Amino acid sequence: MATNKKYWKAFEDLVDAPVVQKLRENEFAEEIPVEDFLGDKQKLESSSTTRRDFLKYLGFSTAAATLAACEAPIIESIPYVVKPEELIPGIPNFYATTYFDGFDFASVLVKTREGRPIKIEPNPEATFNGTTSARIQGTVLSLYDSGRLQGPMKDGQSTNWDSALAEIKKELTTQAGNGKQVVLLTGTVISPSLKALIAEFAAIFPNFRHVTHDAVSASGKLDFYQKTIGKRALPFINLSKAKLIVGVGADFLGDHTGQAMMKEYGMVRKPGKGMARHIQVEANMTLTGSNADKRVKLKPSMHGSALTYIYNGVSGSSLSVGALDDMAKKQLDAIIKELQANRGQSVVMAGGNDEASEAMAFAINKALGNVPSVVDTDHLVYLRQGDDKAVSSMVNDMKSGSVGGIITVGVNPNYTLNPSLGYAEAVAKVPVRATFTDRLDESAGLMTYALPLTHFLESWGDAMPTSKTYALSQPTIRPLFNTKQFEEALMVWIGKDGSYYDYLKSYYNQNIDVTLGSKGWNQVLHDGVAMVAEEPVAEDTNTNPEEEAPAMDLSGAAATLKKMADGAKGMEITFYTKAGVGTGVQANNPWLQELPDPITRISWDNYITISRKDAEELGLFNEYNSAGALNGSKVTLTVGGQTLENVPVIIQPGQTHGTIGLAVGYGRTHSGKAANGVGVNAYSVMNSGSWASDASIADAGEHEFATIQIGHTMMGRKIVNEVSLSDFLSKDVSEWNEKPVFETYRGPLTADETNLWDDFDHETMPMWNMSIDLNSCIGCGACVVACHLENNVPVVGKQEVRNLRDMHWLRIDRYYSSDMNEEVAAEQGIGAIDKFQAMEEPAESPEVVFQPVMCQHCNHAPCETVCPVAATSHSAEGLNHMAYNRCIGTRYCANNCPYKVRRFNWFNYIGNEKFADVNPTQDQYGKMVLNPDVTVRSRGVMEKCSMCIQRIQLGKLEAKKEGRPVKDGDVITACAQACPTHAITFGNVNDKESVITQAKEDHRAYHLLEEVGTQPSVFYQTKVRNRA
Amino acid sequence: MHYESPIREPLILGDKSYHDITVDVAKPVETTAPRSWWVAFSLALVLFLWGVGCILYTIGTGIGVWGLNKTVGWAWDITNFVWWVGIGHAGTLISAILLLFKQKWRLSINRSAEAMTIFSVIQAALFPGIHMGRIWNAYFVFPIPNQFGSLWVNFNSPLLWDVFAISTYFSVSLVFWYVGLIPDFAMIRDRAIRPVQKHIYTILSFGWGGRAKHWQRFEEVSLILAGLATPLVLSVHTIVSMDFATSVIPGWHTTIFPPYFVAGAIFSGFAMVQTLLIITRKLFHLEDYITIQHVEMMNIIIMVTGSIVGVAYLTELFIAWYSGVEYEQYAFLNRATGPYWWAYLSMMTCNVFSPQFMWFKKLRTNLIFTFILSIVVNIGMWFERFVIIVTSLHRDYLPSSWSMFSPTFVDIGIFLGTIGFFFVLFLLYARTFPVIAQAELKTALKSSGENYKKEHANHGHH
Amino acid sequence: MATTEHSLKVHALYDDDDVLMNAVKSVREKGYHIEDVYSPFPIHGLDHALGLRPTRIGIASFLYGLTGLTVAILMTWYMMNHDWAQNIGGKPSFTWGLNMPAFVPIMFELTVFFAAHAMVWTFLAVNGLYPGRKPMNPDPRVTDDKFLMELPVTGDKDALIALLKETGAIEIAEKE
Repeated sequence: MATNKKYWKAFEDLVDAPVVQKLRENEFAEEIPVEDFLGDKQKLESSSTTRRDFLKYLGFSTAAATLAACEAPIIESIPYVVKPEELIPGIPNFYATTYFDGFDFASVLVKTREGRPIKIEPNPEATFNGTTSARIQGTVLSLYDSGRLQGPMKDGQSTNWDSALAEIKKELTTQAGNGKQVVLLTGTVISPSLKALIAEFAAIFPNFRHVTHDAVSASGKLDFYQKTIGKRALPFINLSKAKLIVGVGADFLGDHTGQAMMKEYGMVRKPGKGMARHIQVEANMTLTGSNADKRVKLKPSMHGSALTYIYNGVSGSSLSVGALDDMAKKQLDAIIKELQANRGQSVVMAGGNDEASEAMAFAINKALGNVPSVVDTDHLVYLRQGDDKAVSSMVNDMKSGSVGGIITVGVNPNYTLNPSLGYAEAVAKVPVRATFTDRLDESAGLMTYALPLTHFLESWGDAMPTSKTYALSQPTIRPLFNTKQFEEALMVWIGKDGSYYDYLKSYYNQNIDVTLGSKGWNQVLHDGVAMVAEEPVAEDTNTNPEEEAPAMDLSGAAATLKKMADGAKGMEITFYTKAGVGTGVQANNPWLQELPDPITRISWDNYITISRKDAEELGLFNEYNSAGALNGSKVTLTVGGQTLENVPVIIQPGQTHGTIGLAVGYGRTHSGKAANGVGVNAYSVMNSGSWASDASIADAGEHEFATIQIGHTMMGRKIVNEVSLSDFLSKDVSEWNEKPVFETYRGPLTADETNLWDDFDHETMPMWNMSIDLNSCIGCGACVVACHLENNVPVVGKQEVRNLRDMHWLRIDRYYSSDMNEEVAAEQGIGAIDKFQAMEEPAESPEVVFQPVMCQHCNHAPCETVCPVAATSHSAEGLNHMAYNRCIGTRYCANNCPYKVRRFNWFNYIGNEKFADVNPTQDQYGKMVLNPDVTVRSRGVMEKCSMCIQRIQLGKLEAKKEGRPVKDGDVITACAQACPTHAITFGNVNDKESVITQAKEDHRAYHLLEEVGTQPSVFYQTKVRNRA
Repeated sequence: MHYESPIREPLILGDKSYHDITVDVAKPVETTAPRSWWVAFSLALVLFLWGVGCILYTIGTGIGVWGLNKTVGWAWDITNFVWWVGIGHAGTLISAILLLFKQKWRLSINRSAEAMTIFSVIQAALFPGIHMGRIWNAYFVFPIPNQFGSLWVNFNSPLLWDVFAISTYFSVSLVFWYVGLIPDFAMIRDRAIRPVQKHIYTILSFGWGGRAKHWQRFEEVSLILAGLATPLVLSVHTIVSMDFATSVIPGWHTTIFPPYFVAGAIFSGFAMVQTLLIITRKLFHLEDYITIQHVEMMNIIIMVTGSIVGVAYLTELFIAWYSGVEYEQYAFLNRATGPYWWAYLSMMTCNVFSPQFMWFKKLRTNLIFTFILSIVVNIGMWFERFVIIVTSLHRDYLPSSWSMFSPTFVDIGIFLGTIGFFFVLFLLYARTFPVIAQAELKTALKSSGENYKKEHANHGHH
Repeated sequence: MATTEHSLKVHALYDDDDVLMNAVKSVREKGYHIEDVYSPFPIHGLDHALGLRPTRIGIASFLYGLTGLTVAILMTWYMMNHDWAQNIGGKPSFTWGLNMPAFVPIMFELTVFFAAHAMVWTFLAVNGLYPGRKPMNPDPRVTDDKFLMELPVTGDKDALIALLKETGAIEIAEKE
């Protein structure tokens, strides 16, 4: 039987030798033989252990103990008592979740390492906003922001949640009892479950009111659609169906409606037959305008009239139009012609925040038959729900004292509202004041209760960004501080038991009907997103019940627009959001502050953009000092009675004459170490409209800028290769993408063929190459921030950026076209000196190109040859390695780099108190965002792009585990992953099937500075402009 | 046997005997220092200490305290390095090449020239060290086994060639100098009265006694060292120039650099010798040994080398245009007409234009003028290096990375510090060392001494 | 021939190099052996007059130079092409020959370095010069402007002294 089966441990055992017996007996000492030697007295006395021996032993043991004590300091690491089975140290876990801050929405994957979220990636499952922007990439750092409110406060004293919530409830009820209003002020709410909770909460009070306030509002647009389609929502723009995109003041690649269109934009703009054409009519030089094939400069007051003019053109009607000049008319006529040629497959987008313009734009699209094919009224976007009228009436009510209690959630009205509205005074009149906020911001000071909200990476939640998409968010880390979600508070007030998680789950099961994609809570939670048929029953409180859409009053709209145009006087100002800081919610995020503006290449500031002509008339200047740092005028800005002091001024090529631009989101005073005092608060002169006329500026001294690019034109060099679509289609490649040729003794050879030596073996190992499509790159900067956090790149702050010492491994160069070039010089007989000086000047209405530049990983790398200590050398996979701990910092490599991509650690950024405010690594919480796979570099060493070698190694290991060669998708660099337009492709060119191999053979491919003979591993794809 | 053509100017003036030379040379060492020396010395010392402070600040805080940026990674540091190395050329050149050519006029100046060489190379050697981001790892540049396994230096790197060139040049110049000093130390030893002094010089003189066999070997060694030092001198600046010539930066990537740098080095070196000798001569009343003729000889060399440098500048411009490479063309256009035109202008004026005055005998025999010009030349040579380094780097291939450079007080402080350090060393040397190679000079007394030449002349008459 | 007085030396002091030269010549013509001559500076042709063998320090230096060259070659080969041949800027580290052009400066410098330093050490060694050695010259004036001839006394001392006087010695001393 199994039980008495005998297992022998050795052959001796088998033969049962006595030795085995003995061993078995002595295996364990049964009892310690203390008695033997301590037991009987005389034995002890007769024992040989004398006093001397004893002292010997004592001495020895003491010495031994002392020696044993001499050890290296012990670094304590606490092991898992019970290891979570899904968590393997060193292996990242990804969780799908959803980000929405009232302005930006994205479905993302969160990369966590050992339970810490360290990176945000786009969620490939998502069909709506499944891409990341610079801001979305940055959100992970805002989790570790030590500036966050860390516990509930009452009148500046910390309190506890239970009492705080109880008190608020009590006081609200008494106020409501006195017939006072109870106001809930939030940003746009897209969470069905939250709406349901709010509805239940509202039921408690007889006089409850939910007001929605968007910092950058689309209220006017929403008013229009409410009237027209009966829903307070915006139509989904199906850009992928458009052949002609016309933006009239609509920065749809930037801050337009919250719907991320970059991906579709990139898709429809792929070179070849049927490449979509993009015409932009605008005042500022926006990111969108800089990508347009044709850009028309027009004052914002004229945008409406331009739309009317276009409408008349396409519909044959003759509505009254504002006084457009002939130049504008000519250009608009051209646009009309093109629109008519693209009926049903074009789109006209109106910017701004006014009803009439939107009405006109919608009318145009209707007239062209673009509705619903492109402008999809059956698919609505809910990301903007702010109601400016409601906000102002609320403020008035508060002033009149009819409001008994106000609860604000995730909004900062005292900062985002124009002071003339008098929010601060009004709210002081309200007896019960509570705010749910992530930090003690500008508004929190006005409230009795400041209650900390959890970060989205700590929260549960759901979202209905559009009428057809449903998204879930889940926590990826325990709340760092004593924070709660607003939903939890509501549940306490309503008196619901259980956690919000339970409520959310049950809500999902009852109300959400997943049609497309995977069903089931767990699956949807895993995917993060799902498609739904129609909205859940708990309806958006802001939308009226369905009603027959009235016919649009276009003549009325036209009249309004005409008044707008004729009424405008003086300088016109357009407010916009920057790629980095956006509305200012994440202002305290040093990564986003340091991200240079895509157009001006200035970081750590907002400023007025003005045309050179106006600047000269007003005697404003921009100039570089002897160290190459930018100095400029600063002015006092007055808009509609409100003044703003010390606003810096940047002379912006392409800025419409008679207009200025100013970014919101800056000038925070209570945001945190990094943000406070950076820039000026544009909201304080902005009046819910995205533009205003009659702005005046007066010189007020000099300002110091931090810019990282002081050379603005290509100086006639082939840096960004560009070709018009017609040439691209018709002409031979040699005419628009000529390879530099060297005259050698073997006859003319290209840079790749010309070689002094036999090459190293580039076949056996994978050969990593990167392709950057200059046609798809829109310059948004998502890759820069992604690289920043993937590779622990130090943040250096304003002064060091000003010293031209930014540390970005990946930068996006921006070049303006110049009026001067070889041809002009030739025909006007201009000499070389004057020619080059003129070339440095950008044109008044320049064409703009963006070029991401990182280490080109040259196979004949100038940097490697010159390093005296061989700290940088080449790998068998074509990568240019940097051995940080071998580097002695001679900077010779950086000098000898033709691309100037090497970055030197001028200071000890992780220790030097000069950087304590800006560098996350110097913050006890900020530290947690560091990528454990990447070294944090010490002072005095050179660093640069490594092609995310940590990801390459991981990818290779994965492939190895599966016993196959690496293939596409195994390795993807942070920049490539973050790019919303998929402009960056990375892969192994030794894999002939790979996408990168095709890209390399593409006609458009070329190496940057190929004639230098560095044989880079990075290559660029020629930009194709769809000129008419 | 000691006959020399009477047409040649005497190199030693006045009615001198061997003993007079001994006395004159030993005087500075045996007498106490004049007030002027103390003034000069304390001034130099202050500058030196200021420089030390700036260096310590740099090492403590980071290279960021300099005016450099991501595009201009080298500026004053390497400018000063090349400048000092260049100055450090004349000494060995004078003693070596002129010795090979049996130029007797070298005898009264070679000792100080060599001293200057060694002291300026010490200044030069500072910069490759302190310009490192992590100077505490400077030993990585030596081919020694290390804790990183079989990780060796990179012999492809011009910067490593520098390490070898500079250390070889420095150490060889040093022994060359010292071998020559031994007999003169012996002389001072044998005259010394104060026991301490006697003791010190006994140690320094290695017990030299002037044996015939020793003199025979001495001359052989000097000759061979001279033979070795001559190519060495030429090699040092050649290799320094390769730091730039082997790079890909427009304005650096120039094959003309080696000869051009060497000429420039001799040019600045002689200018510096000129500066120092005119001071020493005044300070220690050595007018009889360092004569106007010496000054003139060197002025001629300055003029010639200055013109060579000028030709090099023009060649550069021509080649840049002729090459047809747009980057090269722009680089040189930018030098002359870009933001740093003033540096280029000062370089041209000081180095090419000003030496041309030396065509006039009146000017090249005028001490004041010579003194001023010798300083002007070195200012010009500093600007040459600044122009090559900064104006080439600040605008290279990609306009997006273009930048500017302006020095911080630390940059300036370190430069002044090295000047201070240099003079501290030189002034100490002038008080304690035989500033003229008296033993060798004595061999030339009978052939080139004024009184002896007169005798010959008289003999010639009857 | 055997001498009666053991190691008695005569020091004849001169005050002019030309006089000394003639003295040396005539003394040697008389068949006397000159042990050594001390002078403040090298006297041209004295070594021939004394019949000294030409020094071979030059040959030594040449050999040292060769050593330096060899060291340089071996070092560059071992470090760059053998021990860890890296791909540095695509420069061919396959064989030393292909990579050699980059090593020329090193080879030259090390050659000079070895030749110069080793030779100077040799010079000091064979001359027995080292820091702190007590002066070799019997009379301090010979580093100033006097010239001293040292002869062993063999046979007739007086004749020798007479001869020396005749050659223009300003001082003659006898040393045990």
